Amino acid sequence: MSDLINAFFNGEIFKDSLWLLVKTLPTVFEVLVLGLVFSYLWGLILALMRLSRFRVLRYLTGAYIDFFRGLPLLLLFIFIYYGLPLAGLTLNALTSGVLGLTLCYGAYSAEIFRAGIQAIPRGQTEAARSLGMTSGQAMRYVILPQAVKLVIPPLTNEFIAMIKDTSLMSVIAVPELLFRAKEKMGVVANPTPLTVAALIYVVFTIPLIRLAARLESKRRKRRPPTKPAAAEISPEAEQDLLNTDIAGQLP
Amino acid sequence: MIPMIELIDVHKSFGHLEVLRGVSLRVTKGEVVVVIGPSGSGKSTMLRCINGLEPIQRGKVVIEGEDLHGPGTDPNKIRQKIGMVFQQFNLFPHKNALQNIMLAPMKVQKKSTREAEAIARDLLDRVGLADKAHAYPDELSGGQQQRVAIARALAMKPDMMLFDEVTSALDPELVAEVLAVMQQLAEGGMTMVVVTHEMGFAREVGSRLVFMDEGTVIEEGDPREMIANPKEPRTQKFLSMVL
Repeated sequence: MSDLINAFFNGEIFKDSLWLLVKTLPTVFEVLVLGLVFSYLWGLILALMRLSRFRVLRYLTGAYIDFFRGLPLLLLFIFIYYGLPLAGLTLNALTSGVLGLTLCYGAYSAEIFRAGIQAIPRGQTEAARSLGMTSGQAMRYVILPQAVKLVIPPLTNEFIAMIKDTSLMSVIAVPELLFRAKEKMGVVANPTPLTVAALIYVVFTIPLIRLAARLESKRRKRRPPTKPAAAEISPEAEQDLLNTDIAGQLP
Repeated sequence: MIPMIELIDVHKSFGHLEVLRGVSLRVTKGEVVVVIGPSGSGKSTMLRCINGLEPIQRGKVVIEGEDLHGPGTDPNKIRQKIGMVFQQFNLFPHKNALQNIMLAPMKVQKKSTREAEAIARDLLDRVGLADKAHAYPDELSGGQQQRVAIARALAMKPDMMLFDEVTSALDPELVAEVLAVMQQLAEGGMTMVVVTHEMGFAREVGSRLVFMDEGTVIEEGDPREMIANPKEPRTQKFLSMVL
């Protein structure tokens, strides 16, 4: 028992590695913020293309989304960081990381946005169009504001997955948590740094997990409203939205 | 005089299902045309073809002399002249009553916030909801929502209004308040096409009654006259069931 404690919770090493690992947080945050912004933006663009009235665009986008949803993120990181230089395109580790997150998580969030947009009743678009709005205006002022509210819980879940997936960047030498923890473990020949890294991950993920659950239950409680209210989301659409959560996103 | 709305031999199918089989209709300025008929007769579809919410397969839709499907026509421009009110209200749930009404004048007609708000407040007052300006749709009764929806359509200063079974989703005690607003509008000279099951409204407010069945216009005429003495057997049968 004391062996185990000594291995995973070695006090001296714990203190050492805590500071070492906390110092990586600015890098992790940078990757996450950029990854979040770019992947949600890219996801929204993909979702709109996926729902476009141009068939070719729909199919191409669908193929893109399927491809990147089916691709292990780890492979993508390695491809970008180690593969592309052989084709003459060298990106630094951080850029590679953000690019990988964006390509991959853009595909995931595209599905979430698509489900959210499709969950808004058709009558909303019709009301907007009957007032003379173009389809773009209807999307921007009527559909998207409602859809975005709807997809905040699943997007939060996705962000949690993204936090965890930053650890995959350790293979492309992004100096993030796992990368430094493994390094330290090698030096001290003791796994305590991993324990510290694990704790830091959950300190960030658990509050978000609780938050996502709260948002989700709040939405459930608000429904069903009285009457055939203004916006009613069909059960199928809602199920669709839930299904897009994070199924099969782990590498 | 150019008619406000002219449908010429309009055909419309959903897949293999032919919903409109050659509908022709003329609506002149200031007319209140009430459309009745059994469910599935194509009344609502016809209404939705008038402002191009539904594409058509054959025929012509002409609004104030302009072909809705003509090569140089911008349907969005034409829709601004045609207000529409729906059975399910379709208010924007993320906006309050005032904002619901202000949205299109601001975004489509590029009116200033102040101008749009003045229009919206005036209209809310006209539909008797001046005190509900800041209420969200889910805080309003069905009848109130529908009156806001009428105000929202009127905010674009349309030349004509389409009403698609606007009282069908309402509790019976709320129907009257919506019909009263519509009657007031009719008396103000608005050109209206009203799909409804309210025969009382048809008789009192309608200037013409149109009976549709199986995707065509079966009979049309003066409402009182037609309700009292329908000529076509199908009209007789339908009226005997609803009266």
